[in-house]
Amino acid sequence: MNKKLYALTAIFSEPNDIIRAAEKVSSSGYKNFDVNTPYPVHGMDPAMKLKPSKLGYFTITIGLFFASLFTYFIYWVQTLDYGQVIGGKPMFAWPTYVPILFEVAILTGAVLTVKIMIGFFFKFPNNSHPIHDSEYAKITSSDGFGILIESDDPKFDEDEINSMFAELGSKKINKIYFDESEINHKNNPFDYRFIIGLFIIAGITSATVYFNMNVLMYMTPFNWMAEQERGDVFESSDYASFSKLGMTMREPVEGTVARGFMPYTFGKFEKEEAGKALVNPYAADSTNLELGKRKFLTYCSSCHGDNGLGKSRLKGLYPPGPDLTMDLYKGYNDGILYHIITKGGAIMPAHESQITRKERWAIVNYIRIIQNNITAVEEEDTDTEDDDMWGDDEDSEDSDDDMWGDEGDEEDE
Amino acid sequence: MNTKEIISNYTRKEFPESIGKYGNIFLIIGALLSILAFFVDSERATYSSLIGFMFLISIGMGAMFFIALEYITGVVWSVPFRRITEFMTNLLWIAPIFAIPTLLNILYGGHMYHWVHPGEDVILLAKSAYLNEAWFVVRTASILIIVFIFKLYMISNSRKQDTDKDQKYTKRNIIASAPFLAVFAFGISIIAIDFMMSLEPHWFSTIYGVYYFAGTFTASIAVLTLFSVTLNEKGLLIDGITTDHYYSLGGFMFAFTTFWMYIAFSQFMLIWYANMPEETFWFIPRLEGAWGFATLSLLFIKFIIPFGLLINRNSKINPKRLKLASYWLIAAHFYDLYWLIYPTYSKQLSEHGNNFSIFNFWMEISIAVLIIGIILTVMKSSAKNVNLVPVGDPKLERGLNFHI
Amino acid sequence: MSTDFSKNPIIVEGNKNFKEIDDAVIAPLDRVPDYRFFIALAVTLTLLTIGGISLYISLVSGTGEWGNNNPVGWAWPIVNFVFWVGIGHAGTLISAILFLFRQRWRNGIARFAEAMTIFAVITAMVFPIIHTGRPWVAVVYLLPYPNQHNLWVNFTSPLLWDVFAVSTYFTVSFVFWYVGLIPDFAVLRDRATGKIKKLIYSIFSLGWRFSNRHWKHYEMVYLILAGMATPLVLSVHTIVSFDFAVSIIPGWHTTIFPPYFVAGAIFSGFAMVQNALIIIRKVFDMKDLIPMKTLETMNKIIMLTGLMVGYAYTMEFFIAWYSGSQPESFTFLNRAMGPYSWAYWIMFSCNVFIPQLFWSKKIRTSIIPMFIIGMFVNVGMWFERFVIVVTSLSRDYLPASWAYFKPTIIDFGLLLGSFGLFFTLVLLFVRFLPAISIPEIKAVKEGAQPTHHGGH
Repeated sequence: MNKKLYALTAIFSEPNDIIRAAEKVSSSGYKNFDVNTPYPVHGMDPAMKLKPSKLGYFTITIGLFFASLFTYFIYWVQTLDYGQVIGGKPMFAWPTYVPILFEVAILTGAVLTVKIMIGFFFKFPNNSHPIHDSEYAKITSSDGFGILIESDDPKFDEDEINSMFAELGSKKINKIYFDESEINHKNNPFDYRFIIGLFIIAGITSATVYFNMNVLMYMTPFNWMAEQERGDVFESSDYASFSKLGMTMREPVEGTVARGFMPYTFGKFEKEEAGKALVNPYAADSTNLELGKRKFLTYCSSCHGDNGLGKSRLKGLYPPGPDLTMDLYKGYNDGILYHIITKGGAIMPAHESQITRKERWAIVNYIRIIQNNITAVEEEDTDTEDDDMWGDDEDSEDSDDDMWGDEGDEEDE
Repeated sequence: MNTKEIISNYTRKEFPESIGKYGNIFLIIGALLSILAFFVDSERATYSSLIGFMFLISIGMGAMFFIALEYITGVVWSVPFRRITEFMTNLLWIAPIFAIPTLLNILYGGHMYHWVHPGEDVILLAKSAYLNEAWFVVRTASILIIVFIFKLYMISNSRKQDTDKDQKYTKRNIIASAPFLAVFAFGISIIAIDFMMSLEPHWFSTIYGVYYFAGTFTASIAVLTLFSVTLNEKGLLIDGITTDHYYSLGGFMFAFTTFWMYIAFSQFMLIWYANMPEETFWFIPRLEGAWGFATLSLLFIKFIIPFGLLINRNSKINPKRLKLASYWLIAAHFYDLYWLIYPTYSKQLSEHGNNFSIFNFWMEISIAVLIIGIILTVMKSSAKNVNLVPVGDPKLERGLNFHI
Repeated sequence: MSTDFSKNPIIVEGNKNFKEIDDAVIAPLDRVPDYRFFIALAVTLTLLTIGGISLYISLVSGTGEWGNNNPVGWAWPIVNFVFWVGIGHAGTLISAILFLFRQRWRNGIARFAEAMTIFAVITAMVFPIIHTGRPWVAVVYLLPYPNQHNLWVNFTSPLLWDVFAVSTYFTVSFVFWYVGLIPDFAVLRDRATGKIKKLIYSIFSLGWRFSNRHWKHYEMVYLILAGMATPLVLSVHTIVSFDFAVSIIPGWHTTIFPPYFVAGAIFSGFAMVQNALIIIRKVFDMKDLIPMKTLETMNKIIMLTGLMVGYAYTMEFFIAWYSGSQPESFTFLNRAMGPYSWAYWIMFSCNVFIPQLFWSKKIRTSIIPMFIIGMFVNVGMWFERFVIVVTSLSRDYLPASWAYFKPTIIDFGLLLGSFGLFFTLVLLFVRFLPAISIPEIKAVKEGAQPTHHGGH
């Protein structure tokens, strides 16, 4: 049997002895040696001439680095990507980030330092070190202190070391050999056991995930988060069982009207009848005319021009409206004009739903002013800056508007 | 020579003469400049004497706290320099002198504290049961008297133990330390609230006492470290004080610097976040204009720089670095007190149409110089005919054997 | 018996040698525990089941099953959360802060305390996840990851700071605990007889071989972890206190909350750890590894932190008057004399009056009184969080919104369940893992350290 020697070891039973042993071995010039103790013994590091661990530098660098990175991330999120004003505070509310940044620094510093210690400094996990399962290991993990000198140390000489150990007072001097299987062992990534193992793990993982996500989540009681079959609950998207067409929203009964609705009994082409029946109830005083002018400019001027002269602004997108000062239109009475605004004309659309009854009468009054004062032609008013386009300036007008006819005293047309 | 022999062979050493010399120089220059300050601008001189009072209380009471803490927790590493801490408590004799200008201001119609003449201010009238001249004086006096009683009792026990070597003194001090800690906690909070927080009497913060405590403890450890390291490097203390002891002192300075930052940040962030005008107005003068720069530099001076100075293991055992950190932290505490008091003063001045003159900062420097002189002189005179190490303390041997 | 201050206090009593220490600590793992263990486990599993049922009802029927109303929208779940996070802090304090202060007496209890921290944090984490009634929201919406809605978390919210703080606390505590366990797993591995046990311990010990070159780094990392866990523990309960203190509600918005909560956490945590230790040392015969001196010191710390909490009560009360703010002073008078005064006085007596019994050395060194006082402290601290949360919400700025909160049976069920979860985990831990860190306890035995220091 060709056993390869790993190291010579010596066991001591007193802390003072192991310290002395370490000092002797380190000052004798051995480099590849180690001390194994069940707990850290004070003063061992200088005895072995070891320099202090540098892990602290890793911690602080990592912690500060990740905290800075996270600061930038928070800055980017809270100000650049989706900036919001929260609680009246500035977008980059740094006092509120301090707790998080502190935690991030600690988390990354601590966890990564441990990872570095285990993976890089210890080179763990490593369960195939020759020392494992030896008598030496069993003693030094429990109640003895041991020192070992590896056989690949340049100054290794069995006899010299044996006598040195005996001189130091060790009662147990042993040899540790490499494990047979470890010597010739090579890690084979294509080992059939490994591949089969991978497949098994893949299979188990996919089966578990599939079962959890596609089967378990739909079984009572785990499906409490998902849509459930509740037999007697009516879904809004279901057909209604009590109506003819299955519609839950039914049409109103014949003759139903909105509140405040007053029917307009004249059909589109019945303007003569309308003209005979309808009378303008509103006097053309200054308030009414202001309202009429405003509404005219809003609704009528795009086709009929600002002064009703037919200078359409629509640039051919829609046929221009006629000049309202023509004799034909001067001949129409108020009722006919009201009817045309309400129901529309040949190509003019109906404005019944956009303009309230009062506003329509006000427009009619205003048109009369235009028709009667055409001699006083103003400059085409292209500058609409002073125009109270939205009716913001005098709001009392609109608050009087009885759009829905709720106010009793404005029922008449 | 083992520790037992070291202790039995202990001989009393003297404080170095240079400390006395420097002490006298600083004392005289500081005193002259401070008195001059009173004639130049008596109101500002009162404020700077207030800084002096709060500083000396810090060091004196912080030292008492450290002694009580040592007794009650039973730690051994600080025993070799407990005598230095006891000397520091003698600063409590001098501190009340610095309170005199403030008290005169309160009792004789000065304008330092608005609650002295509340007028029509409903808020101040509501507080007047607490904030009035009579109770102010009674509170301050009672706290100082009670602290003095504890100080005289505990220090004399420690002195007697030098000769008797009887453990009963240790036991007595332990029994006294527990109630003293309660006295300290409430006493230091009340002094901070009365003297500093009530400068801005509409403002309030429940953590104010803890804030002052954080600064207090850091500064007193710094003074202790400075004297202990200096004396030990000159071989005037006792053999056996090692880098492990230094490391503990440095570690405390580091820890409480961080603790101060934690308290300061909590106070700031909570008030900033809730944004309630009745609280934020205290911070506003500290964040505007030149004072904003002062606040930012407080962050650096009191936290970032000491943190960097003390985080390394090496800095905590190297005597030079330790002393540098101590000097820095002592100055930083002075600056912290300045930051607590002066922006309010500056605001009061500008409300009355005057300007806060930055050129008169020599008045604050003069108080600082005076304080340095006082500390040096008091320490030296306390050490006259007294052992610099509590040789009779039963824990001293364990203290010298202390290893991390 | 009078203390001799010139002698080092004995940390490990009895005359066990190293091998016997190994045996004493590992013995509970090797043998089937006796009937006392199973009775305890039965009790805790019952509580856990009650909790499980309550949880099921809460999630399936909704948060209406709790007593939460308007304006008390935050009640028992958040109180339980703060309570359990606080319990966890004692563990970190014992393992990290006492380590930094080189208090050797901590070595016998540090492992157990760290484990309790982790279990307390696990128990605590249940509550923020369920307290919205929609746990999937808590899990999915609280971490900042890119998503197609372009939505991010709100970094300015203290609830999010909680997420970072508690998960960091859990992770770092777990890592700290595991790093401490590595040498113990190695001891178990070297003593293992069964093949499966040996395999498991080999995996978890990562191949640790007690080499001093490794101990060097190990001790440095342990120091770093302890040094980081200390500000971490302060920051976690500080951030929990920020949940309340950043608001404008009287009784919540006060600057002393951070250190006050931390002191309270340590206070309640020590009481819980002490009580658990009393049980463990009795059930598993570890009286000389966890001597009376350790318990006595813990009692002193309980008293000290209790006084710190008392200081905070006084300061809050004083400043509430001093501030002149009428809602603020009302809040405190309401606490003492309003509809919840019963809760306030339970809290005050349990936190301030009862711990004063520890002034007496006799009480400090007797097991049954200290166990009872520990229970009272836990009750008092639970009520403190209850008083803070519920009284301030039930009587805040607008009197028209005031309402009285009554808990439901489900609330109780969840609280009992949390105790069940915590103690089940503790019992399982003691059954399967070494409750005392073997290297640490060996290191502080008499004669364990050399008197001749190399290179010193």
